[in-house]
Amino acid sequence: MTARNPQTLMALPNEDNFDFLFKIVLIGDCCTGKTSILQRFKTGNYVERHGNTIGVDFSMKTIEVEGKQVKLQIWDTAGQERFRTITQSYYRANNGVIIVYDITKRATFANLQKWIEEVRRYTASNVLIILIGNKCDLEEEREVDFEEARQMCQYIPEILFVMETSAKENTNVEDAFRCLATELKRQHDSNSVQAIDDNTVQLGQSKPLKSCSSSCNLT
Amino acid sequence: MSDDLPEEFDLIVVGTGFTESCIAAAASRIGKTVLHIDANEYYGDAWSSFNLEAFNCLLEQPNFTLRNGSYIWHGPESKEENEEMEIVSWTRETLLEKSRRFSLDLSPRVAYSDGELVKLLIKSNICRYAEFRAVDHVCILSNDELVSVPCSRSDVFNTKMLTMVEKRMLMKFLTACNDYKEEDELSFRGRTFLEYLQAQRVTDKIGTCVMQAIAMCDANTSFEVGMQRTNRFLGSLGRYGNTPFLFPMYGSGELPQCFCRLCAVFGGVYCLKRSLDGITQAEQSNELLVSSAGKTLRAKQVVCAPAQLPASLARHYGELKPHISRGLFIAASPLGNEELNKGGGGVILLRLLAEEGAREACLLQLAHYSGTCPEGLYIFHLTTPAISEDPSADLAAFTAQLFQANAPQILYSAYFTLTAQTIPKTSTAMPICCTAAPTYELDYDAAIANARDIFDKLYGEAEEFLPRAPDPEEIVVEGEDPSALREHSLPEDLRAQLQQMDIAE
Repeated sequence: MTARNPQTLMALPNEDNFDFLFKIVLIGDCCTGKTSILQRFKTGNYVERHGNTIGVDFSMKTIEVEGKQVKLQIWDTAGQERFRTITQSYYRANNGVIIVYDITKRATFANLQKWIEEVRRYTASNVLIILIGNKCDLEEEREVDFEEARQMCQYIPEILFVMETSAKENTNVEDAFRCLATELKRQHDSNSVQAIDDNTVQLGQSKPLKSCSSSCNLT
Repeated sequence: MSDDLPEEFDLIVVGTGFTESCIAAAASRIGKTVLHIDANEYYGDAWSSFNLEAFNCLLEQPNFTLRNGSYIWHGPESKEENEEMEIVSWTRETLLEKSRRFSLDLSPRVAYSDGELVKLLIKSNICRYAEFRAVDHVCILSNDELVSVPCSRSDVFNTKMLTMVEKRMLMKFLTACNDYKEEDELSFRGRTFLEYLQAQRVTDKIGTCVMQAIAMCDANTSFEVGMQRTNRFLGSLGRYGNTPFLFPMYGSGELPQCFCRLCAVFGGVYCLKRSLDGITQAEQSNELLVSSAGKTLRAKQVVCAPAQLPASLARHYGELKPHISRGLFIAASPLGNEELNKGGGGVILLRLLAEEGAREACLLQLAHYSGTCPEGLYIFHLTTPAISEDPSADLAAFTAQLFQANAPQILYSAYFTLTAQTIPKTSTAMPICCTAAPTYELDYDAAIANARDIFDKLYGEAEEFLPRAPDPEEIVVEGEDPSALREHSLPEDLRAQLQQMDIAE
């Protein structure tokens, strides 16, 4: 499988070999810890207050799944969830969705229905969704029981699994991404017939003319 | 709305159309604090795309940018209603079931592979948010048949529409155009491109190909402009696909959103369903007081789409006039023969003329590969400058040509008018900058020029318009491995590309 270079301008470094590339988007209410989760997964560090991380768009991390190198490209909301104004184009061409709620804020759990509705509206039918209850280190402030989240997921067939994490204490963060990556790889393995449409063009990636006989320059 | 919105901004942009989004992104990119709002609940304003149901709702409820909307279903309502007839795969019911698979553009555009839009997207790194598809064919109508204009050398030699002599003639002509330099052909200065073409003694067929598809000229187009357009066409060949044109996957409505994303990534704040209700000059400062949704916000500058101006300011403008007449058709079969629509493909561009070339329209056919409709269906977008309040009458001369012989099986048709006001060049009564409504053009050149003008006016030409956004790997985030690349230590190949682009500009 040829992976498409998401950064379009830059040739991927040669040592960066991978077998699969999956695009994953993070969604969920404001301040549920999406950026912290992503930071923890990407760098292994935790920073108490993030504010808005200006200029950061998405993160890349390659992990090994069942003997294959799986590269995950994980997109953050850029703060557009604040007034529920995430662009449709954010959801385009993604393979997985991670919906994050805060176990210490019931409202973020109650809003899940809206997020799922948005995912249904804007993504392809074969997209995989997982649910993350973040901040499970704050047990004494808990407002949402894990059992309740599990119960809810039974009624929403699109959701693969629910997991509680703590970006602060590094609980389950890596596991959540790893489980999703494994499912994505398996889905891809079993669906090999569903060929990716290679006719789409990403700018900055024009093929050298000599290699494509059908499109020669006139001159 | 839970309103923890800041109250002071460098710039407030009203309307999320292409031009406004471009300005918002550019301002955010140079560190200005930006609030970007839109009265609509969707992104894109007059540049947006809709699913089928939402599109119908829009046609039923005229707003500032769109009026004279109407739609008709041509197929049967449901399967049952149609028992005695042969198998019908598409009915009104089945189309509406797949409503979300449609992405219907108000202002569909294509982009030259080497045009202003593509250059801007690459230069700013906004291209990472968008995917494109190469337009499969550029066509002309010849004896009521859709014929593909040969774009590449192999096309020219494989085409059946030209004789051997004509093939050589066309190659010779295009090579001459490509080699043309300002000082050549002084004799044609001030004359028309058509005169130049006739002087080359090309056949009628070649003349039609060049005038209608390659140079996209009419009889009055000057020699210089025609030459420029021909070379723009030739310069965009062989980059991404068989024709010089690209079409954004999932529709043209994606593009404003890409610019909005960049703006947000650099700290821009977004609110939809929020209108500009009034604007006044603050006392004792140059700031503007903007009232919106019951709140007063302060901004150093305001940029607004004319259609979203508050009534108190809109009176400084002329009345809303019909600007562009649009037709949109959904069909179960494509235009043109099988050859043109191989493998279910078939993004086709066709320029149509009427009234002896005095009027023109642009047809864009989209197939499911463009991500704008379900498999097995085709969308035809027809666009022409409006001459009346009746879009279907404006387009009648063109639909008659298209849907005459071998008419496709049309299931749904819709018409609407996009409006615009006359904008006074400078107005002291207006403390804000207004963008222009979408014009009739193939590419985004005019819209980008408009955005760049306003940006220069606001921040001066010294500020770069949408410099390249760093890739995530190049940003050092607090607590991250400091060995990561910084913006000024770009990989060499990238720096070289950027320098080249700067030179090219």
